Amino acid sequence: MNCETVQRDLPLFLYGELSLEDEQALQDHVEACAACRLALEGERRLHAALEARALEPSAELLAACRRRLSLSLRAAERPAGRMARLAAWLGMRAGGPRLPARAAAAAALVALGFFGARWSGGPSGLPAREGPAESQGARIRFLEPDPAGRVRIALEEVRRRVITGRPEEDRVQRLLLAASREAADPGLRAESLELLRGGAGQPGVRRALLEALEHDPNPGVRMKALEALRPFAAEVEVRQALARVLLADANPGLRVQAIDLLTQQGGREAFIGLLQELLNREENSYVRLRCRRALEELNASVGTF
Amino acid sequence: MTPQPEPPPAAEAAAGVSLEEAALIRAARNGDQEAFERLVRLYDRSVLGLALNLLRSPEDAQEVYQEAFLRVYKNLHLFRADSNFHTWLYRIVTNVALDYLRKRKVRREAAAAAETPEGERDRLEGVPEPRALGDPQRALLNRELACRLEGALESLTARERLVFELRHYQGLRLRAIGQMLGASEEAAKTCLFRATRKMRAALRDFV
Repeated sequence: MNCETVQRDLPLFLYGELSLEDEQALQDHVEACAACRLALEGERRLHAALEARALEPSAELLAACRRRLSLSLRAAERPAGRMARLAAWLGMRAGGPRLPARAAAAAALVALGFFGARWSGGPSGLPAREGPAESQGARIRFLEPDPAGRVRIALEEVRRRVITGRPEEDRVQRLLLAASREAADPGLRAESLELLRGGAGQPGVRRALLEALEHDPNPGVRMKALEALRPFAAEVEVRQALARVLLADANPGLRVQAIDLLTQQGGREAFIGLLQELLNREENSYVRLRCRRALEELNASVGTF
Repeated sequence: MTPQPEPPPAAEAAAGVSLEEAALIRAARNGDQEAFERLVRLYDRSVLGLALNLLRSPEDAQEVYQEAFLRVYKNLHLFRADSNFHTWLYRIVTNVALDYLRKRKVRREAAAAAETPEGERDRLEGVPEPRALGDPQRALLNRELACRLEGALESLTARERLVFELRHYQGLRLRAIGQMLGASEEAAKTCLFRATRKMRAALRDFV
């Protein structure tokens, strides 16, 4: 070993990265060579100086990092795993923002209400819902001012009929189904669903109930649908819809009902991940409490969510 | 992306993964955030220490910590359970740190160029106090030496700096450092030689 090799290898020697043979050869050389001994001393002083500048992260910094990471993890999309599989099963993205569709629907309703009020109130100052078309069950189809300053209005009138029958009768059921989807008055929609309850075992009625549960803009109507579906809470499509309600419905009462129904049935362990996800994102303290209780009853971790 | 099948415990044992670590990795891969946070805690002090010593700024260190562990979380499904988790984790951490160092170097060079009319900036500005040590070492680290030392470290390339930090402060073997950087042990050794040579040259009058 010559001086050049020794001085090049000094850091490796101090770090213990030399083979036993090379280490021995270096030590032998240093003992016999004053210049290399000096170089080794210099290298040791460099190490000491470097050691003195070492920083240890403070406990506060470490805690701050952990807190920030934890918050980011909650917001981050989860990797392929239980939640992703559950989300796929539910046909939705688990980490998605709450209520995009419902928020859009709500915005649309607000907009409709706004423009509707402007149209029906009009410059005449008449209160809304007193326009001739709505109050008389007719629609304006045509308007034509004439030279004499008058106006010709063509109305399309709908004749009112009364139909009487039992809710399970085909003709009545079809009308009730139409009302549950199309009636402007939420009271009518809720009443229709209530009358349809007895037929909830039939596919058409079941579809209407599920649709109302997830998509009706009125929480009272959605609750009515949930009540009608209660006897079928063990069925897969109902459980899937309830899981989506749990994650996406804006109404805390409905979310609580969904927790109860999902955890009262067999196979409830499948919803542990969903409940943990809800606990992560839930803002309502009562829903969180119910969710936490449900997890505890399932002996599942509520951890540091 | 197709999830990988869970490896048998024997594969984990062969890879030198502790049972606790293996269980945490499995749970975290299944979306268990609590398990992931526990897994993080097995390593995050040393990761933060590396970032802090590299970047000499708690704010920058926190950025690297955050970015590195989020990448780990997002890519955990790609980790092959028969490999070494520590090496895999540090490969991500070193990539993030290298990116950060390079970007910061460019920013600082641009800032230094802008400062030249007023003179050289004080390199000790923003340098945190060294940790308390015994008197001999504290005496050794006078202000001038600290200034030269920081200057010497700043003059290293990002890769040299990282290899030096991993070897000197993290105590990792050159073989492991090579693996983390996707290079050979020889390449890591060459980096270390260059780094120490530059530092020796910069501190010739002091050590």
